[in-house]
Amino acid sequence: MDILIFSLFNGILYGMLLFMLSSGLTLIFGMMGVLNFAHASFFMLGAYFAYQISKFVGFWPALIIAPVVVGVIGAIVERYGLRRVHKFGHVAELLFTFGLAYVIEEAVQMIWGKVPVSYHIPEVMNFTLFSLYGLEYSAYRVFMLLVAVSMFVALFFLLTRTRVGLIIQGALTYPNIVASLGHNVPLVFMMVFGLGCALAGLAGVLAGNILGTEPGMAIQLGPIVFVVIVIGGLGSLNGALVASLFIGIMQTTAVSYDVSMNGFLNVIGVQVDFDSAWRMLVDLTVAQISPILPYLLLTLMLIVRPRGLFGVRDV
Amino acid sequence: MRIRVVLASLLGLALGSFLPPALAADDPIRIALIEPYSGPLAAVGRDALEQFEFYADRINEAGGVLGGRKIEIVAFDNAMNAEKTTQQLRKAIDQNIRYVSQGVGSNHALNIIKALQKYNRRNPGKEVMFFNHSAVTTSFTNKLCMFWHFRFDHNVDQKVAALTTFMNQDPDVKRVYMINQNYAYGQSFQKAAHRYLKERTPKAKLVGDELIVPFGKVLDFTPYIAKIKASGADTVLTGNWGPDATRLITAGANAGLKVKYYSIYAGIPAAMNTMGTKVSTFTPVMQITESHENDPDEPEWLIGIENDFMKKYNKSTYADRVRIMFEMIVKAFNSAGSADPAAVGYALEGANGRSAKGEAWMRPDDHQIHFPMVVSHISEDVKRPFIYNGENYKMAYKTDGWIAREDMVLPSSCKMKRPKK
Repeated sequence: MDILIFSLFNGILYGMLLFMLSSGLTLIFGMMGVLNFAHASFFMLGAYFAYQISKFVGFWPALIIAPVVVGVIGAIVERYGLRRVHKFGHVAELLFTFGLAYVIEEAVQMIWGKVPVSYHIPEVMNFTLFSLYGLEYSAYRVFMLLVAVSMFVALFFLLTRTRVGLIIQGALTYPNIVASLGHNVPLVFMMVFGLGCALAGLAGVLAGNILGTEPGMAIQLGPIVFVVIVIGGLGSLNGALVASLFIGIMQTTAVSYDVSMNGFLNVIGVQVDFDSAWRMLVDLTVAQISPILPYLLLTLMLIVRPRGLFGVRDV
Repeated sequence: MRIRVVLASLLGLALGSFLPPALAADDPIRIALIEPYSGPLAAVGRDALEQFEFYADRINEAGGVLGGRKIEIVAFDNAMNAEKTTQQLRKAIDQNIRYVSQGVGSNHALNIIKALQKYNRRNPGKEVMFFNHSAVTTSFTNKLCMFWHFRFDHNVDQKVAALTTFMNQDPDVKRVYMINQNYAYGQSFQKAAHRYLKERTPKAKLVGDELIVPFGKVLDFTPYIAKIKASGADTVLTGNWGPDATRLITAGANAGLKVKYYSIYAGIPAAMNTMGTKVSTFTPVMQITESHENDPDEPEWLIGIENDFMKKYNKSTYADRVRIMFEMIVKAFNSAGSADPAAVGYALEGANGRSAKGEAWMRPDDHQIHFPMVVSHISEDVKRPFIYNGENYKMAYKTDGWIAREDMVLPSSCKMKRPKK
């Protein structure tokens, strides 16, 4: 029971971190149809900017300034890069963002060097808020959770309850009609891309000090955000939320249980020979394979339901 | 017309490059250093190159070797791609370089060893020597040993054996939890730890043994921390490095987990900086190295060298084994009286060098170096905080104790074929 509650709680904390990382990506894809390979790089930029800004003015201004700067960079990238490749189709866009990821990584290395920088949790938040089964949870972790939740709520309201959201959704489905009504559709696209990048930047500010801020962080993070948005359904904000929470809880639970196939086989009375090649496979515990579970889920999802949990169109 | 000129000059170039450069007695002795100078691990490669150039410069300023020949370091970038290491080795051999060195990544060292085994057998009289400064896979001085390979760092088994020797004297160590990366190095650490915990830390009880997917794939270590906590462990023994080490220790500190970490690489300078002083000193993060700048018994001459290094690069020294290696090589050149790798190899066998505490010794049977090692933990209360490129980390290492050279000796299964003298 203890493990269950712990898994649920920690899974939610971790899942909301995943949601923060992937919400910007799914927003951009859902609204613009652009699969942004450089998403994790904007996340990295957010972490580095936060490190640099918090050195001068502290963490709290950095929490606001860094995502804004990342968002502005994103908007510029859309205006002068992506918009030009857009007319050549999705492959060109994909290749563009793919190359952009490398450019950002090299730029980061040139500016901040190749070794990790010392970006840490702010002192005021570095105290224990409560303990659960002997593990302490710092105020910062809970703060991250709150930011992630408010991020979801704000995005949800923006897109479904405001005039701006209506125009955005309209512009994405019927750009010509919205344009003929007098709205500036390219501007809308630029804003959406900028917002998506700013969200990635915000995630970088909040997670950079927990995961470590180094030039390799974007590459390490790349795959998992794609898993989240594919399982959730490309372009679905709700889907991303559900998929993040699901993966978070699943991984935490898997690590917590040392159950192997062999144990299960023994219970039903099957013995696997110690020297057999199968032995290695059945001896694997759930904990050991936990990090690949999301990818397993991804492939299963693509086979069974290619549009993902909440998606409206196939991948 | 223009094409013909270009072709002719290209041909000339190609022909010229086939002519072996005349070898004069005062030509520099070139050592190829094959490391990553680009890509995510470039900082590690560049740090190594800096150290190599520092010691080569010192040797040259003191008059070189063999009565006036200089040492020249030639850098070859493998971009952390093991295939490329083999290509770069070939390039170095094509340039008539007879000495190569490498250390970052055992899979790269393995490629060099395999390539040289073939090349040296097929090219008697032109053999190439491999000075391994940091690649620690145990089999290089056991099953895979060869005359043309010398290792100047202790292998994984030796380091684990030393750690467990020390753990037995540590009254805090009672219940040990192991967590390692699931790939060749992590598994060999795990295997060695199983063996030497039994042999050298009989008092400890193993309460957990975990393998994780390596290289930053695990984002949230809290579930592992919960398991360590639940197991009642007081000590975590880990071979983890990079984000797999820093995230583990950071997650532990954030969850208030008070255990001792015994490691090889968890506290390296880059990791220290990632974690920050709060996390690094929250609970003892212990590591084993050949020396460190805050050891109270550090000899004067070594402090002098460290100060010179600081003056030149604005950096504290970390891997003293590179110095040991260069000092031993110079002695070997001079006592062999020749720059021929075979003669130098024989001179290095059984040779001694000076380590921070007592003598270093190159065991002739398997070409594995032996020197005393120091166990230390990260502390803010140090006289000389670690400095990297001018940035003060505000912490460094503090000695907990030394492991004698005798305790570093392990049996080897090496059966070496030697060239004719």
